[in-house]
Order: sequence, then C-alpha cells, then structure tokens
Amino acid sequence: MTTPVSEAATAVAAPGLAVSAPPARGRLRQSLSLYLPAGLLLAIIAACFLSPLVATVSPPTGGSVLNAGLPAGTPGFPLGTDANGNDIFSRLLYGGRVSLEVGAATQLIGIALGGLIGMIAGYSRGLLAAVLMRVLDVFIAFPSLVLALAIAEGLGPGELHVIWALSFYSVPAFARLARSATLRLRDQNFMLAAALSGTPRWRIVLFHLAPNLLPQLMTFALLGAGVAIIQEGALSFLSLGVPPPGASWGNMIAAGMQTMSVRPSLVLFPCLALLITVAALNLLGDALRARWSAR
Amino acid sequence: MAAVLLSAAAVAACSGKATGSGGAAAGTTAGGTSTGAGASATVGPQNSATPQPGGSFTMLEETGLTGAWPTGLDPATDGNGSANQSYLDAIYGNLFELGANGQTIDDLATGYTITPDAKTVAIHLRPGVTFSDGTPFNAAAVAFNFKRDIASAVGDKPNWPVSSITTSGNYDVLIHLTQPYAPIINTFHDSNVNWIVSPTALQKMGENAFKLAPVGAGPFTVVSDTVSSELALKKNPHYWAPGEPYLNSLTFKSVASDEAALETMQAGGVQGYEGMQTPQLASAFGQQFNVLDVPSTSPYVIQLNTAIAPFNNLNAREAVYYATDVNLIDQRLFGNLHPVTEGFTAPNGLFYEQDVPGYRTYDLAKAKAAVKAAGGVTVDLMATQSSVTQTVLEALQTMWQAAGMTVNIHVDQLANVIQQFQGNKWQASLQTAGAFDPAAGLGVNFRFGSKSVFSGVHDPKLDTLFAAATSTLDTAKRQQLYDQAAAYISQNAYAPFLFPVNGWNIAAKNVTGPGLTTLLPASAVRPEILWAQVGFTGQ
Amino acid sequence: MTVYRLAARRLLTAIPVVWGVTFLGFTVLNLLPGDAAQALLGADATPSEVAALSKQLHLDQPFFARYGNWLASALSGHLGNSLGSGQPVTTILAQRLPVTFELLLYAFIISLLIAIPVATLAARRPGGVFDSITTFIALVGLSIAPYILALLLILFFAVDLSLFPALGWTPVSGGLGANLRSLTLPALSLGFPIGCFYTRLLRADVLEQLDEDYVVTAHAKGLPGWRVLLRHATPNSMFGLITVVALNVGTLLGGTVIVEQIFGLPGIGEELFQAIQTRDFPVLEGIVVVFAVLVVVIGLLADLLYAVLDPRIRYDNPGQ
Repeated sequence: MTTPVSEAATAVAAPGLAVSAPPARGRLRQSLSLYLPAGLLLAIIAACFLSPLVATVSPPTGGSVLNAGLPAGTPGFPLGTDANGNDIFSRLLYGGRVSLEVGAATQLIGIALGGLIGMIAGYSRGLLAAVLMRVLDVFIAFPSLVLALAIAEGLGPGELHVIWALSFYSVPAFARLARSATLRLRDQNFMLAAALSGTPRWRIVLFHLAPNLLPQLMTFALLGAGVAIIQEGALSFLSLGVPPPGASWGNMIAAGMQTMSVRPSLVLFPCLALLITVAALNLLGDALRARWSAR
Repeated sequence: MAAVLLSAAAVAACSGKATGSGGAAAGTTAGGTSTGAGASATVGPQNSATPQPGGSFTMLEETGLTGAWPTGLDPATDGNGSANQSYLDAIYGNLFELGANGQTIDDLATGYTITPDAKTVAIHLRPGVTFSDGTPFNAAAVAFNFKRDIASAVGDKPNWPVSSITTSGNYDVLIHLTQPYAPIINTFHDSNVNWIVSPTALQKMGENAFKLAPVGAGPFTVVSDTVSSELALKKNPHYWAPGEPYLNSLTFKSVASDEAALETMQAGGVQGYEGMQTPQLASAFGQQFNVLDVPSTSPYVIQLNTAIAPFNNLNAREAVYYATDVNLIDQRLFGNLHPVTEGFTAPNGLFYEQDVPGYRTYDLAKAKAAVKAAGGVTVDLMATQSSVTQTVLEALQTMWQAAGMTVNIHVDQLANVIQQFQGNKWQASLQTAGAFDPAAGLGVNFRFGSKSVFSGVHDPKLDTLFAAATSTLDTAKRQQLYDQAAAYISQNAYAPFLFPVNGWNIAAKNVTGPGLTTLLPASAVRPEILWAQVGFTGQ
Repeated sequence: MTVYRLAARRLLTAIPVVWGVTFLGFTVLNLLPGDAAQALLGADATPSEVAALSKQLHLDQPFFARYGNWLASALSGHLGNSLGSGQPVTTILAQRLPVTFELLLYAFIISLLIAIPVATLAARRPGGVFDSITTFIALVGLSIAPYILALLLILFFAVDLSLFPALGWTPVSGGLGANLRSLTLPALSLGFPIGCFYTRLLRADVLEQLDEDYVVTAHAKGLPGWRVLLRHATPNSMFGLITVVALNVGTLLGGTVIVEQIFGLPGIGEELFQAIQTRDFPVLEGIVVVFAVLVVVIGLLADLLYAVLDPRIRYDNPGQ
C-alpha cells in the first residue's frame, strides 16, 4: 500500500510569480478541469447517499439464498446478485457510502490532528518541535500496515476501526505536510507582523497560519481520500476491512476475487466504482492545485 | 507381478473381517480374544491405473489453512498438526492408515492386539525398517515417540486414558490403559501418534533444528524447508515398501486462495491442490483437471450456549431448529452437494445415523411461534474465518430474521474465537463437531462435553452416554449409545446440525493416488493422501 | 552547514527514532488479544498447556521486563528466536530480506521507468492526446487493487501467454534469468500502481516548474523546449519525488504482504503477516527494526540528495 505522502505539494509549490493570465480557451479548459470532476464527485456522493432514500433499491444485505448468483438484467436486480442473493447494484450504493465515509473520515482526522501537530511542530522552536518531529518520524518509519493490522486484529473488524487504522497513515502524512508548509510561511511578513503585534501564539497558529495552509491540506486530502479507499480494499483482502455482510467496495472486491475466473462481474463493478471515484478525486485535486498555485 | 500380488492380498483382506460400511474391523466383538484384528492387508493401489516410477510433483496448499507451519514439522510441537497432515505423512509415513472402506490398513505397523480386558493394546511394528538416517525403527523408538506425544501440548495429542507405555521385544509396543478405550486405533488417524520421529536425529539436532529438517521413516526426506512457503522433499531410497514411492521428488507450495490456485494450475508447473473449498470454482477446475469430491466426517453444527441467555431457554433453541432451512442452504449455496445430517455422524464415518427420531426440521410457522414464546430472541452468531462460513452465516441470518429474531453475525480469526469461548459470553457459534470415530480427536466431547470450554452443553447425562460409548469395544453397543446421544441432543434442542462440508482435491489428469484421485474417508476434515502411492500414469 | 554535518546530525537524531519504533512495535503487539502460546498451540490446547508454554517462552513476565530483556539482547546483536519455529530472527531475516529487497528494487525501477518518461512527455503538451491517454491509464493503474492486478497479470502472462511463472521464487543461484522471471509479475503488480502514482505527481510538478520564472527566461533566451524540460524542469521536479519515495518506504512493506502471498514469494512481508497472526514478537520486532533503519537511511540519502542538488538548502534551511 502506498501513501501519497506528497511533499511534492510543498517542496516545489513555493508559489512562483504568476505568468500572465491564460487565454480564454485556456480559462474554459481550466474551469472544465475543475468543475467536471467536482460534479462527478457530487453525483457519486448523491447517488450513494441519497438515491436509496429516493428510488426503490433492493436492500444490500439479508438477501435470500434463493436468489443467489442471478445475472445482470434480472428484474429487480439490475446488476445481478452475489452468492448470497444480495443485489449488487444496491451493494455498490451502500458500499459506496462506507467507502466514501472511510475516505472522508481518515482525511478529516488527518487534517485536524495531523495538521495541528504539524503546525505546532513547525511554528514552535526548540524542544517541543524536536520531540514532535521525532514522534512523527517514529510513526513514519513504523510499517503502517502493522499498525493497521494490529488495530483490526485487536479491536475486531468494523468500519470505525478501519477508519482508526487508516488514520495512522494520514495523520503523520498531514503532519509532515503541515510542518513543511509552516516552515515556509513562518518567516513571511504577515506572520512576523502578527507576532510583533503581541498576538498570542495559539491565535497565530489557528487564525493566521491555518487558513493559509488549508487549501494545500484540502488538496492533499482529496488525493488521500482516494488512497484510503484503496487501502480499505487491501485490508479487506487480509480479512480485516469492513466486515461482511455489510458492503464496502473494498470487501466486495476481496470477496469477488475468490471467484474471479467464473464471475468477473463481482469484481468488475466495484473496481469501476472505485476507479471513477478515485479518478474524480485525483482530477479535482490536480485542478485545485493548479488553481491555487497560480495565484 | 507385484501389482497382481498386492491386489490379491487386498482382495483377501477385504473379503475377510470387514463388516458393513462402518469399518467395524476397527473394533472387536465383545468378550472374545482377538488376535491380529487389524487387517493384514499391505497398502496397495486403489485404482486400476498403476503409476509409473519417477517424476516431480508440486502440490499446492492454501496459506491460512493447510499451507502454514509456523511451529515447524515435529509432531509433538506442531500446533497445526492436523492441518499439516500432508507434510507429516510424506516425511514420517504412518503407523496405520484409513482404507477406502473405513478399514485400518497397515503401513509402518503390521497390526494390533487388544487383550481381553481391553486395557492393554499391543502395536506390532514392521521389522527391518529404518529411519532415513539409518537408525533402526523399533519398539524403543516408537515408545519414545508415544510418551513424547502424550506429554505434548498440541491440539492433536492423543487423549488416551493411559497409565504407561512399555515395550516387549524389538517390535511390540504396549499401551497400558486405565480403562477400556474403544477408539484407540482410530485415534491414530487424527492424532500425532501416527507420525514417528527418529529419536537419534532429534537428540543429535536438538528440537529447534529438528522441527525445521525432520527425519522420519516415511516415503520422502527433507531437502529444504522455507517455513510456511515451500517444503521440498525427495524420494527416500530406504523406504520399506518396494517400488515406493513412485515420485522422485515432492514439493509443497503455499498459495493464497482457491482462485490463485486455479490460475497457478492453469499456468502449469504444479500438479495438485488439496482442500479447495469454493463451490463455484469446482466446474472451472473440472475443465482441465481431475476434481475429487472429499466429504469430511465432521458436520457443521450451530452450537448454542445453554449456560446463558438467550439459549438457556428451550423455546429459543427450538426456534433456531425450526428457522433453519438446511436443505435450502445446501441447495442454493452448495448445489445439493452435501448430505444433510441431523447428528454428529456423517455418511463416511462410523456409526452414521441418517435420521434422528423427533428431529425438528424447518417450519417457519413453528419458528415464529417459538420466538414469540421465548419473548423475542436476540442472538450474536459467530464463526471462524473461512470463505464457506461467511456465506453460511449470512444465509442463517436471513432465515432467522424471517422468523422474527434479531441476529448479529461476525466471522473472526481463530484467536478471537478461542477468546470468546473462554470468556463464555458467546451465544451461538457455527463450528464442526464429530470425526470418523466420534470419540476420537475433535470428537463430540470437544463440543458437547460438560467439561469442555468449547462446549455449549453442560449435561451430565450426555457425558455419561459419551463416556460409555468410549469405553466399550462392542461396536453394536457404541452405535446404540451414539444414537441415544443424538436423540438426546435433538430432544433438548441443544444444537442443530447442518452437513459435513466438502472439500475438493484437484489433480492433473495424468496423476493418480489414493486420497488425491480416489476417495478415502476423512478422519475429520480431510482424508490423508497416501503419498507413497501417488504418481504419474503414462498418459 | 556542510553535507557531513548534516549527515552526522541526521544520524544522531535517527537513534531515538529507531528506539521509538521498537517500543511502539512492542506496545502494539502487546495490545493484541491472545498471546503467542495460544496462537501456536491452536484451538484445542487446554488452558494449563497454554500457561505452561507461556512460562517457557517467558511470556508471563510483565511488559517492561520483557521489553527490557529484548532491548538488552538486541543491543548486543542478538535479536532472539522466533517463538514458533525457534529459528534465530537473524537467520529468518537473512533468508527473507533479500527476496523482498529485490522485489522492492525491481518494482521501484519499474515505477521510475514508467513515471519519468511519461510525466515528462505528458507535461510537454498538457491536455494533448498523449497526456489524456496516459492520465487515463495512470488513474486506472493507481486505483486498481494490487491483488486484482496480480491475478489479472497471472491470467494474462502466466496462463494465456506462459511467459512468466505464476507462483514461486527462483533464487539467483538458480540463474539470474530465472530469478528475474519469477519476480517480474510480482514487481509489476507493485510497481505499476506506484509508477502511475509517481507519474501523476511528477507531471504536476513538472507543469509547475514550467510556470516558473527561470523557464520563462530560458524560453526568452531562445533555448529549445526540450532542453529546458530535460535539463532543468524535470530534474527540479525530482525533489518532490525523492521526498515521496523516502517517505513511502515504510508503507511499501504493506504492499509486499499481499503480493508475496499471491505469488508465493518467501519474503519478509509474508513473514510479517504470519508473525502478527501468531503474536511472534521477536520476529516482528526484528522486521520492524530493519525497516526503521531502512527508512532512516533512505531518508538520510534523500536529504543528502536534496542538499547536493540544491545548494540553497545547504545554507538556507537550519530547520531540516
């Protein structure tokens, strides 16, 4: 499993001087590259969270064994059923909820906790900064899989536990990111001004520093959400992800893998859903980065 | 010529003592003296195609089931002993084996004698055999092993009521029991006493080195051992059976899943896979390979914890019986492959009883009524991780919910399951119970005895029935007692049974071997593969 | 500060980090339910048997005593024995690390061979045909689960084309060609998704570089686009990549667990997974320590590479 611990965002994102405004066609292109993936993402979120409330969709669990293994196109089961008689389409939607929740939650925890730690580590000097950095280094050097496995084995499978386990990837990553960005911003004029005017440090961090970091962190979060959703799939392969019969794209793929030769559709549909979502997240993240670094 | 002699001997033995399909040759009639009650047949090929000598065979085993041996391959310290039986069989051979009709077949032992008071069992060893390190295979060595195994702490140690082990001469080992113990010979098939290590090698290498490069008297010797990944073996030139083993080399490789095994076999270079468990893949395998259906002798049972709520209430337990449509699960999930059972015995095992009188079968109306009478049932149903248990749990959840119960299911790793049993807070658990001989190994006592941590039933009456069936050698009486036990369990609705699970053993089309391409009964979950007789046919 | 002082400082700070990793590993393993004795003896062992083995393995001692013992012997070079197989941890590491290292190196090379050329070419004409196609492929590549990719690769290359083996590992002693053949599909399963990810990253960085002042200046001076790209923009974009690679090492281990299982490679990832299942803490600690050292060393190399490539960092940035 790889983590986009992307310091690339910071290492070279020192905003260069903006070149002259791009031509009109370029502007349209830029807008499209932003709004298309954003729209796609919103559509996916809406489909997963809203459509079961609005349209009639078969339940994702509790399928009768009588309906096992139906092919796509069977009335009532647009994409067919799995080995337990559960509707695949419905499992895609409900599974999407879980996967999206995992993605969002791990990144939010990362931003909140990791961002805070990183800002403090970057802004303070001396012992506090050094200690925080060493602690972060420990978590980065420690194979995150071991942490994730240990949490899943120790606490048992479950969506919440998966989120905690995957947060061990995101928190150190955000912390590193936030720290590097803070280092870069620390000596800027507006920061020095705030310090000189006697603003307490915590206010500086929260109200001056954080808002400037947020765009970068948000962009990173978009990429990280995609990775987190994929990592949930990896945990499911090791039987430590979201537990069946509940659905998640990850555990649908892991279960479908068992019979990939004979029923590839069980793997294909959740893989496609994953692909589209991760693509949207990536493209949106890229577009936002392009936007913000051009300012 | 050898084949003709061997098959003649086999026919002679089979027409002799075996009575019925229950493998009654494993026991003796009450009261009489019995000598050489163990069949004197030597191991012979069980199908018509005789293998050619030579060839390299690579066998796949699934990681997580049979393909892991983190504690090494010494029978007295291998915690995965029953799962690792293929490796142990290949390296150590067996004293006795289970034949196609359930009869006991001689291998490194040539028979047994049980004294009239049934308290001493003499195991006769095959003379002139050596371990692969050249040291003699004799009574002293075997006695050393027995003592070591009895004292071992692993799950497949023998549970004999033994007082001492002595030897008589060079080739007889005497097991002195404190009371008659009917399943004793059958316990050889699922406990570690069947595998004899070379005491000399053990002492020379020390336990830690020995378990990684073991020495036995079996058909193959160890070339290299990469723990839980690959075990490479080569033919033992000093193996006692002339002409065997047919194969020059045998390599075991661990593979991640049934699907990965399918692809690996299709890619070529491997010739077999044992313990395939995904029913949907059976036909995919069948297109290119030999698929052998191997039923276990250990049926699935839904254990109910009668010590605590909700299943300390008879109505709740009855609701489970009535709400479970076993035939439908068998039909839809497994294509009607498995024989539905109502007790802890299975068609390929001893003392099979197909219909238990008074057994409560599927009846949704009665289920709903029982749930109402119990004042509602909320249950947490667990199982040990496997691809099969997950789907079965989901089906059960649906069915029980239809009867009005609130059901929560979860599948856990073994360590967590053990913890839950030990904490005694578990409510219902899908496990397997029974064995080829119900009194042996992971037998009924494990799941139904009042003293077992892993049992949900604490009923002295049941204990008495089991104890009686264990201590009489009269097979007719044992059948009666087990029938009574099954009826008693059914009457009290202690635990509904499903069916013994199948596995499939897969082999390339030009392979032949007992247990691999022809059926042998399973001592519990899987039959042994007689590696000495596995080989390639000329095709 | 000079490169040497930088290196020395980093090494000094690495010591508490490695120690911290061992402590974290020990803590994590202790929080798991059950212990090695139970896991090794299996389901049917009686509680008294488990207790006996526990005592024998010194598992009944309190946490700090056990950690202290382990640490003391580790500092003198003895990493202990596996609780399961009794093998010395150093032997297990010596047997299995080379396999995983070779796999990771091979995967890494594949990922760079994909990322650098594709990203550079794509950034040359962003939005063009090449860029669009490779973006699509890259997105597919990084969103596919490695185990699905592995199975698909086996189906295509091993089953249909019979070009590569589906399972198993041939050591170098069996011939370099065979060795590389047995590692190709696993390395692809790991390397391709990572390569796609690096491609996306590098492409974005190169694009940003192309917006920088010095590029505008270079164009104004009449330097051809190719030269600017290859000699300035791409190398400058490597910083981000170097950092990511350095930080990813610890997480790459996770990928090897799955790939090694599927391809039956006797590597450290598989051993790690087994060790967690059987609560084999000497093995786990040994693996964790090795990887911590690896991460630290690679991090140091990355920083040194930074300093060598960008003189500004050497003199400007005391906080690193």
